[in-house]
Amino acid sequence: MLDLTMIELTAYALQILLIILAIAIVVHRNNGTIIILITSFSLVTACLYIMNKAPDVAIAEVAIGSAIIPLIYVISISRQREFIVLDKALDDFIISDNQFTGVGYILLKRFTDLYHLELNITNDPGLCKLGTGRDQLLCEQTNVDLIVTKDEETNKYILKGKKSSILLQKLESMAKDYDNIEVIQFKDRDFGD
Amino acid sequence: MTKHLIIIILLGVLLAVFVVAMQDVQILYNTALKSYLVEGVIPRGFEETGSRNLVTAILLDYRLFDSLFEAGILLIAVSGIIWISKHDIEEKNAQFMYDKFKTPDLFVTFSRLVYPLMLTFGFYVIINGHLSPGGGFQGGAIVASAILILYYIDHDKETNIKLIVTVEKFLYIAILLFAGISIFTRGTFFTNFIPTHYSYDVQTIYLVILNIMIGFKVALGLWAIFTAFLKEGR
Repeated sequence: MLDLTMIELTAYALQILLIILAIAIVVHRNNGTIIILITSFSLVTACLYIMNKAPDVAIAEVAIGSAIIPLIYVISISRQREFIVLDKALDDFIISDNQFTGVGYILLKRFTDLYHLELNITNDPGLCKLGTGRDQLLCEQTNVDLIVTKDEETNKYILKGKKSSILLQKLESMAKDYDNIEVIQFKDRDFGD
Repeated sequence: MTKHLIIIILLGVLLAVFVVAMQDVQILYNTALKSYLVEGVIPRGFEETGSRNLVTAILLDYRLFDSLFEAGILLIAVSGIIWISKHDIEEKNAQFMYDKFKTPDLFVTFSRLVYPLMLTFGFYVIINGHLSPGGGFQGGAIVASAILILYYIDHDKETNIKLIVTVEKFLYIAILLFAGISIFTRGTFFTNFIPTHYSYDVQTIYLVILNIMIGFKVALGLWAIFTAFLKEGR
């Protein structure tokens, strides 16, 4: 009845799969799943290109569509939901015994879990070298959300952040229970440029 | 409700336009383009350019002008991304303690295993562009994704993004000059500069050199793009 070869049948099946994948990309809510779907979409497209005798385009599609673009998406999505903390104290406030079990880490983890953010702690030497006076500049110009420093005289840990972020007010109320933690909020400055 | 209706109507109009346009493409393919390909490129392509891969023959010889603009568009895109994501404080790639805890060991080990293979395959695709499917753009993209894997292996890797973009710009100017040599030897712009009476093997020198240059340019451009994305959060 239907006079189709095997290759034609496969091509039709792949085209139907392509439509299903396209709808799934639009409908899905989870970002990780969407990235995997986009990757499989371009793999199916590459198969179709090869079936239509265009191997050059297929190689480009595989390299760009299923290697570089998903990795860029993964990087940018993981940056989106991050709460970046710059650890200048460098003692057992965050890391004790080479594990994330410090007092400060538990507080920050509790805080970020409340807002479904991902906690990311850095002790980048280039940024830590900058003096305490430039902390405000650092908060404004990079996207470090919080800076942890230690006051040597009073032995208090000071958490600094921008006042404009509403998150910090919640952090301040959470930190009231701890005696050795203080939260400082920078005032916003106008940039008249 | 009206919004949805308008969107559906717009999509319907787009689909109709697309179907009409596809019929035009079919007519074009069956008449002018088909005669161009069947009578021009397919029988005479190898003799005129020395390229067994006729797609490369079109990209690097018959329609080199288009390819150069394509490379230029990538350069403009890279410059735009770097300009948007510029930072005022001099910074290196931050060392994220958490990243090291997060990346699985299996992934790192596999990346170490796959990295040299990917790099070799990328160079193979670039250099064999005139013989097998592929070419400068495809090979450059593969090399770039190999370099991207390197960031997962070595977290402390530092890259000078300004240097990458500068080298890319100079490479683009070099490609333009290299493609322009043909006005002195053949009398026309943007074609093979080796005169036609040489053998095919000599003519492939031009294709290989141009493929390598375009491949490196594309690899550097994509490297700059994802370095900008990686630095953006740090």
